[in-house]
Amino acid sequence: MENLEKMIEEADSLEELEKVRVELFGKKGALSKEFAKLKDIPGPEKKAFAEGLNQKKEKLQTLFDKRYETLKKEEIEKLLKEEALDVSLYGNLEERGALHPVMETMDKIIDYFVALNFAIEEGPKIEDDFHNFEALNLPKNHPAREMQDTFFCKDGAVLRTHTSPVQIRTMLKQKPPIRMIAPGAVFRKDYDLTHTPMFHQVEGLVVGEKGEVNFANLKSIMSEFLHYMFGDVEVRFRPSFFPFTEPSAEVDISCIFCEAKGCRVCSHTGWLEVLGCGIVDSNVFDAVEYKNVSGYAFGLGVERFAMLLHKIPDLRMLFEGDRRLLEQFR
Amino acid sequence: MIVTRSWLNNFIDLSEISDEKLYETLNSIGLEVDSIKKYNIPQKVVVGKIISCEKHPDADKLNVCQIDIGSGVRQIVCGAKNVVDAQYVAVATIGAKLGEDFEIKHAKLRGVESEGMVCSASELGLPDIGDGIMILDESIGELVIGKDLNEYEKVADTVIELELTANRGDCLSIHGVARDLSAALNIPINKFDYESQNSEKIGIARIAKLTKKGIIPASLQYAMANIKDLHTSLILSLRLAFVKEPQKDSISSILRYIIHSTGVILRAYDVSNVNLEEEKIEIEIINEYKVINIAINGKIQSQVGIYQNEEGMAKDDSSIVLFESSYAHPEDLVDVVAEKKLKTDELYYNTSRGSEPNLHFGVQYLTYLLETYTGCTLYDGAISLDEEQEEKIITITTQEISELIGNKIEKIEIMNILISLGFKVQSSIEDKFGVTVPPFRHDIENIQDVAEEVVRIIGINNIEAKPLKFIEKTHNNETINKHYAKKALRLRATANGFDESISYAFADKTLLEKYHFPIVSEELDIINPITNDFSTLRTTVLINLLQAAQRNVNYSQKSTALFEIGPVFNKNREEEEVFSLIFTGQKESENVSNAGKPSSIDFETFTKKLSAIIGNFELRTSMEHNGLIHPYQSADIIIDNTICGFLTKVHPTVCEKFDLKDTFVAEIDFNTLIPKHINAHAISKFQGVYKDLSFVIDKNIPYNQISVTIKSLNLPLLKKFYAVDVYEDEELGDKKSLTLRLFIQSLDNTLKDEAIESTVNSIIEKLNSEYGATLR
Repeated sequence: MENLEKMIEEADSLEELEKVRVELFGKKGALSKEFAKLKDIPGPEKKAFAEGLNQKKEKLQTLFDKRYETLKKEEIEKLLKEEALDVSLYGNLEERGALHPVMETMDKIIDYFVALNFAIEEGPKIEDDFHNFEALNLPKNHPAREMQDTFFCKDGAVLRTHTSPVQIRTMLKQKPPIRMIAPGAVFRKDYDLTHTPMFHQVEGLVVGEKGEVNFANLKSIMSEFLHYMFGDVEVRFRPSFFPFTEPSAEVDISCIFCEAKGCRVCSHTGWLEVLGCGIVDSNVFDAVEYKNVSGYAFGLGVERFAMLLHKIPDLRMLFEGDRRLLEQFR
Repeated sequence: MIVTRSWLNNFIDLSEISDEKLYETLNSIGLEVDSIKKYNIPQKVVVGKIISCEKHPDADKLNVCQIDIGSGVRQIVCGAKNVVDAQYVAVATIGAKLGEDFEIKHAKLRGVESEGMVCSASELGLPDIGDGIMILDESIGELVIGKDLNEYEKVADTVIELELTANRGDCLSIHGVARDLSAALNIPINKFDYESQNSEKIGIARIAKLTKKGIIPASLQYAMANIKDLHTSLILSLRLAFVKEPQKDSISSILRYIIHSTGVILRAYDVSNVNLEEEKIEIEIINEYKVINIAINGKIQSQVGIYQNEEGMAKDDSSIVLFESSYAHPEDLVDVVAEKKLKTDELYYNTSRGSEPNLHFGVQYLTYLLETYTGCTLYDGAISLDEEQEEKIITITTQEISELIGNKIEKIEIMNILISLGFKVQSSIEDKFGVTVPPFRHDIENIQDVAEEVVRIIGINNIEAKPLKFIEKTHNNETINKHYAKKALRLRATANGFDESISYAFADKTLLEKYHFPIVSEELDIINPITNDFSTLRTTVLINLLQAAQRNVNYSQKSTALFEIGPVFNKNREEEEVFSLIFTGQKESENVSNAGKPSSIDFETFTKKLSAIIGNFELRTSMEHNGLIHPYQSADIIIDNTICGFLTKVHPTVCEKFDLKDTFVAEIDFNTLIPKHINAHAISKFQGVYKDLSFVIDKNIPYNQISVTIKSLNLPLLKKFYAVDVYEDEELGDKKSLTLRLFIQSLDNTLKDEAIESTVNSIIEKLNSEYGATLR
């Protein structure tokens, strides 16, 4: 019997233990042989023998199970050790790309207005004079046209200089109430450190009944929007001039680079100009034959927002697919 | 437009207003301040009076001056030529610091003691006003010997540069800006009034005659003077320098100064050669096809508001000069100039934005300057041609103004603001009232313009913001869905290692031609491109991406994966949005698993990435013929049986041109990638089986051809099939071994062997009859 116990305890691998199991508990194993003796044992002693045998079997089984546990644990331990890796080698694989900071900024702007139930509208990049200028109260020879250096096509079409023609197209196609933004690329013939021939704008337009939409509303939404974009900044409105709005305002935020103390970025004024807006000029409504309406409009440059938000130093780099810049946004 | 504080003081008393308040007010009334600069004259620079001036004994170019500086007489050696004409000068005394490393000390110049320095304007930090030392005169204020120059506020001035919007021609003068400030600060404007001394007793009407031809939609006024002792005072030179106006000769400087002060357009004609004893000066005003020409004694000298001939202009040596002030409507001017492509001079900037129509103001100011600072004598009176100006009257209601602004504005407040801005207001007890627009405000046409004036003066920052209450239907539309589909696509592209790129929607036409891409037709293309690199509208994004990849290679990037969603144009200049990708160089980052030597991007990796981004697609041998196409590794991308783009390994000669290693590109019509609505199919409850079939088949038959053939059988039990092995060797010759894996499953029952057999056999028979394929 001790011999059997010793066999279990000395098994030093699962394979060996399996052999022991067959030898002990198998059909032809040691225990089976013992149990076979039962039939030759006379009645009165039979019970005691059987009980003793059962106890012995139980004891061996417990011993076996314990040994199995131990060996199994050892084996898994060994397997785990074999699979050991320096996991720290596998960080920083750089497998993901980045959204472009300008597009990501545009998304953020769009999300704000979509959440306020603004529709997104689109328009062609090649425009005609009517939609890009005339209908926006920019008659031919108007000095304000000089504000925008225009690319012309041979047939008289222009590359849209702003997203404002989308306002006109939407108003001609739909009826008030209108609440829309028009994001997209625009083109101006200007190429230096702070200008690129193509950039992106987001235009907004809200039109309601006469007397419904006013300057105080515009002020409210522009302030909130700028707080959403730039956080805790001061917002300042200055009267300005755009041919398609009257009254018009330019909106500044307190400089986020120097906390309004004055620095190179804000030309030492403490303020950064970020967007233009105003009450839609009645001449614009006349051009689309809207009567008894009121509305506001606004427009902003997405590159400027992205550069301010992410402190990007160079505008032209944004258009060069430069991974040194892009990979920072992964 | 540049103004200075002391110059503004000519018209409005700003002594109580700090520079900060001035800056804030200008911004808040819409005259945006670009920069503000206070000029400070260094300490110990004082007014000195030259008592004597003698040549230096040992140096031809130096003078030895005895100068009274209040506290005593100092000997100062000076090198400037003009010191000999000077009486009062700016003297930097011992201890004055003219720069960080420049302090005035006792000096010996060629053996002569010198105790100070006579300064030029630029040496004092002021703008350059010409050669030599700055000669002081009473135009800057009473000259007190020994007084610190910094105490003269006309010298130590504050210069403010304004960025005027195109509508505010009325603020293109010091007086105009002062007028606007007067309304905002509630300080009255000093009315300029000057009585001529009439030193020349002859009236101008006796020697000059005005005639007109045609209707003249302009106003003109003429004055005449005998020119004598013409010079510019210090204040005039200094202020013109502060505001960056060019200074040619005295007469043009004086005119410039008046124009900048008053906003009235002034010109001067030389009439010295007219013998006034015998003939009159004939001024003819001729409307010639909307251009108003001025002819003097038969010769056309100028076009009102547009141009003046150099030849007839008055010069400093003219003895008799005819002065003209003029006004023409800016809208008329811009139209005629654009229409006739007329040559314009520098004053056109002012006239096209609307110059000051009060001509008398300009002439009066001229008279004042000439009689006060020069020896010129003016002929009595003026002759003029006045256009009957129709007054612009706008009817407004308090309610409408309040509605536009969104805050209740009281009638009395509106009226006061408008009056302060020069409007005439008709009083009425009703809510409705009429206002007359002042003639200098060309920009005011309707009630919205009037509302803007109210907003400006109240200050936008004082208007209470109110959220808009809007009752309406949802504005969710297709474009919003498209935006979010695009965003999801972009995110998948980044998840697969591509960086998003933006490039200009232009291309170099020669490159498009070279690589056989379509070109926008000549008659529709841009006529004024910015550079040759952007000479046309692009018809593909791929050239831009290749250029971006090349730049990245130059910055030693070993791998570049970029994508762009952007506009391209076809031959007919119709716009289309494409999704374009490029992958060049190493296919993954360098790391321990690839021993720092990742292999280059290959067809399979690129295609797998693309599939992870845009979803499932079929590939067929490409029909594209552009120059990037690799003849044996290019494919059309097919989604729902439609070709929606292509992908290709970039042709090695192109890679070479762009300094690139193995490179793959794809360009796909974005609209085909917008997710479509999906209905689910029924799902079979029964087990399916996989079967592999290996065929020996002509090696030139592409898989997609076999695939189309099998699909055409419409086998109901064949759920899917795909290629799992392709094998070629010498023994097979011009054939290849192709193994297909079939998945067979029924929707209605457990598959019986016969059903499987029949499906498999149909395929074997079809491929045999179509392509002579045999089972291996």
